[in-house]
Amino acid sequence: MKILVVDDSRVMRQIVIRTLRQAGHGGHDIVEAQDGKEALDLVRSQSPDLILSDWNMPEMNGIDVLTSLRASGCQVVFGFVTSEGSEEMRARATQAGAAFLIAKPFTPEAFGEALAGIGV
Amino acid sequence: MMLEDPTHTDLHAVVDEVWSTFLGHEEPLLPALPGDADTTMAWSAATSVSGAWNGVVTVEIPDGVAHTATMRMLGLEPAEQISNEDVADAVGELVNMIGGNVKSLVPGPSALSLPLVARGTIALPSDLTEVARLDLTWAGSPLRVTVLARRDALGPALERGTNHRESA
Repeated sequence: MKILVVDDSRVMRQIVIRTLRQAGHGGHDIVEAQDGKEALDLVRSQSPDLILSDWNMPEMNGIDVLTSLRASGCQVVFGFVTSEGSEEMRARATQAGAAFLIAKPFTPEAFGEALAGIGV
Repeated sequence: MMLEDPTHTDLHAVVDEVWSTFLGHEEPLLPALPGDADTTMAWSAATSVSGAWNGVVTVEIPDGVAHTATMRMLGLEPAEQISNEDVADAVGELVNMIGGNVKSLVPGPSALSLPLVARGTIALPSDLTEVARLDLTWAGSPLRVTVLARRDALGPALERGTNHRESA
């Protein structure tokens, strides 16, 4: 499986990738993007199977990426990994078509449950 | 402090969770020690919440804490080198996580800004009122986390255009 990890923080991208490994998902092909605009470009060129995206980013935020993908007919599985885990944000994420929202700080168990929920 | 503001206990729980999850359980966060106030806080970071509740969350830490936190977050060994850019990134991510969780505690809807990170002190607008402050010690060094609220809600607590993830 190819996973696109989107976060403007390199440190956080490293933590997400390490946590995927700790959750037993170390064998996947990982692609990284540092903002939403780069993520959209990489979706077109790399065709990931899953996107794990921050919400709050420069250039283009995560919810705009998701909205843009769905508007273009792209149904790639999309999950948020964000510091904003309120019910309001979870509702917005679900309404826009996200499969899950993992709140920072997170544990390997949170990743394991989220990925199990989408059959990975 | 108003009822809608996050309490000292709320803030402590948020900071404890961020620290223990990403920086390890080996060294717990402890109350500040006498003399900690004399330590220079070499790194400061801030993020603002704008909307139904308006305010700023700040994190201030000395060089040693910033360096150790960055190493832990990147999963590096002590001998490995890190850049100031890495440290600014890690410190920004700490205030982003704390700010995002504080945002979830206050009335919404609201928006969280991108973090502002400075080598030194961030000068905040004078119309902010401190509502919760934690003075703590981690691995023998001090750190300070503060929540400040804006009462008049005339605009974003950190002006747009300054709230980038960068060293100032």
